[in-house]
Amino acid sequence: MERAEKVYRAWLASANLPYETINGLMDQWESADNVFRTMKEHPEALEIEDRWLQEMRKMADETTLDFLQTEIEKHQMTVLIRRDEAYPEKLRNISDPPAILFARGNLDCLRGRTAAMVGSRAASWEGMRTTRRIAKALSQAGIVIISGLAYGIDTASHEGCLEGESPTVAVMGCGLDQIYPEGNENLRSRILEKNGLLLSEYAPGEKPLGWHFPVRNRIISGLSDAVILMEAKIRSGSMHTVQHALEQGRDVFAWPGDPNSTHYEGNHQLLREGAIFFTRPEDILEDMNWLDNPENVGQNIPCSALDSCGTPEEKAVVQALIPGAAGFEQLTETTGLEPQALMVTLTMLQIRGAIELLPGKAYRLKEQ
Amino acid sequence: MQEIMARTLSFGLNGVNGYPVHVEAFGINGMPGMEIIGLPDASVKESKDRVNAAIINSGKQMIPRRITINLAPADTKKEGPSFDLPIAVGIMMATGELRPAPDKNLESIALFGELSLDGHVQPVSGVLPMVISAQENGIREVILPEKNAREAACLEGMTILPVSHLTEVISYLEGREDIVPQRQISFEELKHDAVCMADMGEIRGQKGARRALEVAAAGGHNLLMVGVPGSGKTMLARCLPGILPPLSFEEALETTRIHSISGHMPSGGGLIVSRPFCAPHHSASVASLIGGGSAAKPGEVSLAHNGVLFLDELPEFSRNALEAMRQPLEDGFVSVTRVKNKAQYQSSFMLVAAMNPCPCGYFGSKKRTCRCTPQEIRRYLDRVSGPLLDRIDIQVEVDAVPVNEIRQSEAAETSAEVAKRVADARQIQLKRYAGSGRHCNAQLSGAEVKRVCVMTPEAEKILHAAVDAMHMSMRAYNRILKVSRTIADLAGAEKIETPHVAEAVQYRELDQKYWS
Repeated sequence: MERAEKVYRAWLASANLPYETINGLMDQWESADNVFRTMKEHPEALEIEDRWLQEMRKMADETTLDFLQTEIEKHQMTVLIRRDEAYPEKLRNISDPPAILFARGNLDCLRGRTAAMVGSRAASWEGMRTTRRIAKALSQAGIVIISGLAYGIDTASHEGCLEGESPTVAVMGCGLDQIYPEGNENLRSRILEKNGLLLSEYAPGEKPLGWHFPVRNRIISGLSDAVILMEAKIRSGSMHTVQHALEQGRDVFAWPGDPNSTHYEGNHQLLREGAIFFTRPEDILEDMNWLDNPENVGQNIPCSALDSCGTPEEKAVVQALIPGAAGFEQLTETTGLEPQALMVTLTMLQIRGAIELLPGKAYRLKEQ
Repeated sequence: MQEIMARTLSFGLNGVNGYPVHVEAFGINGMPGMEIIGLPDASVKESKDRVNAAIINSGKQMIPRRITINLAPADTKKEGPSFDLPIAVGIMMATGELRPAPDKNLESIALFGELSLDGHVQPVSGVLPMVISAQENGIREVILPEKNAREAACLEGMTILPVSHLTEVISYLEGREDIVPQRQISFEELKHDAVCMADMGEIRGQKGARRALEVAAAGGHNLLMVGVPGSGKTMLARCLPGILPPLSFEEALETTRIHSISGHMPSGGGLIVSRPFCAPHHSASVASLIGGGSAAKPGEVSLAHNGVLFLDELPEFSRNALEAMRQPLEDGFVSVTRVKNKAQYQSSFMLVAAMNPCPCGYFGSKKRTCRCTPQEIRRYLDRVSGPLLDRIDIQVEVDAVPVNEIRQSEAAETSAEVAKRVADARQIQLKRYAGSGRHCNAQLSGAEVKRVCVMTPEAEKILHAAVDAMHMSMRAYNRILKVSRTIADLAGAEKIETPHVAEAVQYRELDQKYWS
């Protein structure tokens, strides 16, 4: 039965052969289709070890091939090998690029500027919030954000990027037909809707096994020009990603975080070891030489918020918030307003989107 | 000696209601002994030994006869030691030891009291409902323990005869000596006993939370306070009874009845005239909150009737306990059913709940870093179910007070001043809802909200804008309307105006985005 070349490529990928073996076979036999035929007819001609031959045979039955074919067609996957033109250029240049790469979505988004944002799955609220804000600003400056679709910082990175203008890329640790993690199914479809990309080196049907993720991390750093560590403890997967990034010669940024919080141990260690310090998204753009349209990022919000104030009460509240977030009690002190009047003013400012409510009944000026 | 039949009168309890119990004593020659019948429980059965000793210690003889005591009606279960006194009197009459004076009709004098072995009369629980029942049954004279006298002292037209020893009862019945009746204490006079647990004048800062408390009190709205440990949530909650309008006589009776039967009356205490404040610990069982036990006793929700039920650490309460709160919150009463008992208790209370914002407690704190992840916080908040939150109109965060503000000695407004405004607002509501069975804004149903909560066009515009900007649900919309009605009542306004709505929006912080 005739099948498309990409089904045979998926078959090669699912056999879990070493990269070199696959690259060698593809170079020698031109197409996966040919490899498949040769294996059926003259296996000895392939000149590979017996155990790999057995692996290939194991996956060569019609049911498996049918499954691969349906999944590839259903999800409209592209299956790339290293010499393909569409194979991401940045990835091709790392020491161990995947021999076969599955993709869903817009591969072109990897051609521009890319930054990976990584961090803990069990991230703090503040960390996720900062991540979302920075991802959004970078996205507005035209940077494509790459992350791993996990909970926590990964989710915040993708979501922040989607709020901006650029597409976002998720590199997964399982087959692209799998839904993992379950809670992010919706995020995954939004990534695709917004012209983004899902990537994986695992064939359809491959489960999200524990050892996939550290291996996957080298792809995340490999695809990126810069790797930004948002929130990580010392022993964590994110620190592996950073390790890969250093080996691949990528620029590593680390968010300073709260020095007293154990959530940021990894960040602080990296900063001591020489990671690039940043406090604003503009810092990243500047250090990466990406500042070609600087007016796009970083607006002077407090002033614009002050201009739109209708009443003296509103002005007083905005004025009191310019130095930073303040609690309700503090605001009654600094503005001298009665609690009722202050509540009314806060509601009006919230309706206009000028301020936002933080945990602990604190308020701050909203960044546009 | 011939057989003698004696009959005395007492009262038993069924839920919060009393019913007459005729204590019949029948003495006959034969093997000496005493039998109590008419479904007595263990404490009633033990009565015979107490009564025996008490009679001997009161200077009377215990003639050896065969005595049968019947507590009629015979088909209801009799509990508690309050039958000691009528039984003792009955026995003495049945053995001929006590011959009542001709003007003393034992069938129209109600007797309650527990006896100690030396003949002293001890206080019992449930006196108020029993005396009320006596009053309803046309009885005018009640002999009861001295320490219970004040409890029944407010009832009109009753002769309350307090006694401290069995000998006083004997000499009174024999017509040798009178008992000084308890002076009737009017409700107005009793009201002076009202105590305020905490005064708002003691609270420093907390201007936002104070205002929320005032609005909650003015409209009878349930209140949830969220804040870091030490932000003063408990202190604020304890101030609430003091700013609610004082109990009316009927309310005081209702509340005292429940406290009386559950044995929670302070000893020597009269009518309960301050609004109750119940603060069960979060390990409380469903039965202790709602009511139960083999005797179907009232739970905390009923003890808080006409007062405040304070649930601190709300998410730490068991799920079952919290879900069981929903019926009393909705209906204002609970039905407690057990194998042998069934009772309905009123439980119309204001719920005040307090909780930390996250498991470690410091989410949003300026002093300490929270070490919870968003998932952990989500899970913690999810322990409080949506249906329960739906019944809490005002949900505010309590900001911790900066230390320098605590030090400031500037006196804050006292509870009395706030209570005045609250009372005015309640008066407006009472007038508005006259004849509808409702008495405050919190009780409005969906349809009534539409009718009663009329907004000015500008106010309506602001409300819609707020609901959009803060992604609030339709349900939140209705609750904001109710609360803004209360704020308008506090301001004495006919229609709900923009500032009222804008303030009410601030009482829905939990709906706002960062939490979900």
